[in-house]
Amino acid sequence: MAAINRYTDNTAPANPVVSPAKQSLPPAKTADSQSVLKRLQSELMALMMSGDSGISAFPEEDNIFCWKGTITGSKDTVFEGTEYRLTFSFPNDYPFKPPKVKFETGCFHPNVDVYGNICLDILQDKWSSAYDVRTILLSIQSLLGEPNISSPLNTQAAQLWSNQEEYRKMVEKLYKPPTAA
Amino acid sequence: MVTDSIANASISLAPNARDLPLPKKKRVRNSKLKQSKLDVRREQWLSRGAVKNKKWNEEDNRLDSVAIKAREDDNLSSKKINMREIGEENDGSVHHHSDFSDSPSNSPPSIGSSILGGNDSGPHFTGSSSSSSCRSSSSCCRSGSITEEEEEEEGDDDCLDDWEAIADALAATDKQHDQCSESSPRGNVVSQLDSCGDSRNELGVEDGDSGVQRGRIAQRASMNCRAWRPDDAFRPQSLPTLSKQLSLPNTDRRFGCGGIPWACGGVMSVPTSCPICFEDLDLTDSSFLPCFCGFRLCLFCHKRILEEDGRCPGCRKPYDHDPADNETNVHGGSPTFPLARSCSMISRS
Repeated sequence: MAAINRYTDNTAPANPVVSPAKQSLPPAKTADSQSVLKRLQSELMALMMSGDSGISAFPEEDNIFCWKGTITGSKDTVFEGTEYRLTFSFPNDYPFKPPKVKFETGCFHPNVDVYGNICLDILQDKWSSAYDVRTILLSIQSLLGEPNISSPLNTQAAQLWSNQEEYRKMVEKLYKPPTAA
Repeated sequence: MVTDSIANASISLAPNARDLPLPKKKRVRNSKLKQSKLDVRREQWLSRGAVKNKKWNEEDNRLDSVAIKAREDDNLSSKKINMREIGEENDGSVHHHSDFSDSPSNSPPSIGSSILGGNDSGPHFTGSSSSSSCRSSSSCCRSGSITEEEEEEEGDDDCLDDWEAIADALAATDKQHDQCSESSPRGNVVSQLDSCGDSRNELGVEDGDSGVQRGRIAQRASMNCRAWRPDDAFRPQSLPTLSKQLSLPNTDRRFGCGGIPWACGGVMSVPTSCPICFEDLDLTDSSFLPCFCGFRLCLFCHKRILEEDGRCPGCRKPYDHDPADNETNVHGGSPTFPLARSCSMISRS
């Protein structure tokens, strides 16, 4: 229970102290975050059991609503051999709303901007509550090799995509491996 | 007592069965329909080594043993009077139960009812309507029993609606069997048997599942080096359970492979927990199928989604067709059911 309250506090810092007068409100909130908690724990379990290669994710130490994930570039793509760190931020109404996913490691990709924002339909209007961290990671991993050139966030990358050799050189040049932290 | 009645019944049955002036076509067709049991027969013949040169007397044997087996069913079911009574209540007729022991030609209804006895736990049982139609068909000849059994199985779900499809399928298999039986005098018997059996195997997706039982049967058959005869000592004790085992998983398998979405979803692939919130699905939840795509979720999550964007998480289509749809979905097996059935039957030929 203490843990749940802490999570609730983390995500809703505006309501840090539960006064007796407000007792009626928090239960709904608590129940809500408890169900999200259960879902995230189950996802973590499933992700660890799945053993997918090239993707991983784990909650931050103190907040299960924030995860760090990593994906590795698929073989036979220009991103082969590179590794990217991502951050997941889950809303309180997850999974009915998508998590916010960003690249923490710089990624030279047509659909990733310089801030690490990702243009991926399933993270926006095509989100379904049936998706989970694992499918998001897999989707992003496949997005690396198959960018959507028609709506680029990084126009330079989009233009260069047709020349895979040059693109690979660019990736290698800009790639900074994520630090251990 | 049990063995006595079985022996009596089968002895009285066997000669009769052979004497009946059945159109071969019909018999062959029926035997085909009875694929699961015939699969077993085929195993026996193959293991029998020497194929007797009686030409298509084999067919008679086969039918005899099917009939015997059916008779075994009867005996089993008469042992289980309770089940029996349920089946008959569903049937809406009591008299044919007593008929079967008197004359073999009346055995078909009792076979049907014994099957009913086995299946009567099925929720969608429409016994009275189907059995009436079946009784009329069974009155003509003994071979009606086999079709009837099929029909009874069909009858478990909207029997009458399926009639056209069944008739089509029967016609298709009929044609195929005409060719089959025409060619039989020319070709040699073994190959004929093989080809028929193979076609049956192609059809019978259930081979794998019944492998154990068939293995046992084949073993016994090779031990005896012949099919079960009325005087076969092994037959009475073992057969009832065997046919029971065969018939029950058989329907399951058929339903599973028959492309009935509700059956597949209902029996096999119901998740134990809601894929959205990971809470366990209770009984209401697991019978809740809000979308045609088959995506299941708990009622709470469904309500929550309805309050928001209202689209199915599985297919992203809006949940516009809601509670009524649930019903049609559950019983909606009927549109696909006959289709799948007839397709599978045609693919046999």
